[in-house]
Amino acid sequence: MNALPPPDPMRVFDRRLLRLRRDRAAATVQGVAPVLEAAAELLLDRLDDTTHRFTRALDLGGRGVVAPLLRARGIPFIVSMDLSARMAAKGREMAGGLALAGDEEWLPFAPESFDLVVASLSLHWVNDLPGALVQIRRALKPDGLFLAALPGLGTLQALREALAGAETELRGGISPRVSPFPDLRDLAGLLQRAGFAMPVADAETLHLSYRSPMALFADLRAAGEGNAVLARDGRIPPRALLPLAASRLPEEGGAIPVELRLLTMTGWAPHESQGRPARPGSATHRLAEALGVEERSAGEKAGR
Amino acid sequence: MSDMPKPAAPGGEVDPSLLEILVCPVTKGTLRYDRARGELVSDAARLAYPIRDGIPIMLPDEARRLDDPAP
Repeated sequence: MNALPPPDPMRVFDRRLLRLRRDRAAATVQGVAPVLEAAAELLLDRLDDTTHRFTRALDLGGRGVVAPLLRARGIPFIVSMDLSARMAAKGREMAGGLALAGDEEWLPFAPESFDLVVASLSLHWVNDLPGALVQIRRALKPDGLFLAALPGLGTLQALREALAGAETELRGGISPRVSPFPDLRDLAGLLQRAGFAMPVADAETLHLSYRSPMALFADLRAAGEGNAVLARDGRIPPRALLPLAASRLPEEGGAIPVELRLLTMTGWAPHESQGRPARPGSATHRLAEALGVEERSAGEKAGR
Repeated sequence: MSDMPKPAAPGGEVDPSLLEILVCPVTKGTLRYDRARGELVSDAARLAYPIRDGIPIMLPDEARRLDDPAP
């Protein structure tokens, strides 16, 4: 019998399995590029909103989709990193940048190596997200920008429910088959704790439509998004599981609607030029005067 | 000899601008490029990260322990 390491409650995902999944998916990811591109474009829209010029970008887990979009925005120096060397090579191949295999939990970059870090649909498999964010912030120059999109709570919810229902019926119990996703409220706090200035987290929904449930499963696999939850049931699933779950997915006019709830994180590496909130009590004009109203006490003193 | 072509590095050449920013993922310390072996060596962590097809593999799991015999 091989001895299993003691279970660590902080480790949810099997990073080694994820690397194998992404190695395998490097050959098929082109098939799902339109979905990945749509998500990346939503994220990179934020670059077009700023007057900053970025010159050194790190693409985390961009699967050959993000690097060309960065190149198209005139960024000269692009490094693509992925757990899988083959997947990182896709970034190099598609945009002529540099590639390395690396782990977001063990970032291998010197401080202030980049002025832009983009993680489009890659951080949701990281066990220690707060730790990864701190390392990303350190890899940024002052006033550098971090942009990330993660699938949020609600993504693949119909699939999660269909699988749970089918498994309960066939096995009398359920095991995790869809990755747990973070909630919007968690993310802004995480950014702040990691030392990012002006952190913003918001949500957008990407509506996809699949002809059949099997096409959805095939796409998830092609993107390397198979189940990598450590507590997954290692037994071979009953043959009837996927067809039964598929029959329970909601259908609209012969198509399976799938929601990808994208959570977007934006944060800046701190720099003295950035605006900072004034100290409480440092105002020289009354708000009430400016508004032309009578000032009333809220029953508490301003902090000192 | 300066006019001799350098022998090809095993694992392929790594772009110098990438070498400039890479550090050991475990110690965040500097790396030594062992061109002859095609490895990035972290003396502090006693680990050597392999280079395959010009791609540095900066994963602690995949690194060779310096104290182990060479493969």
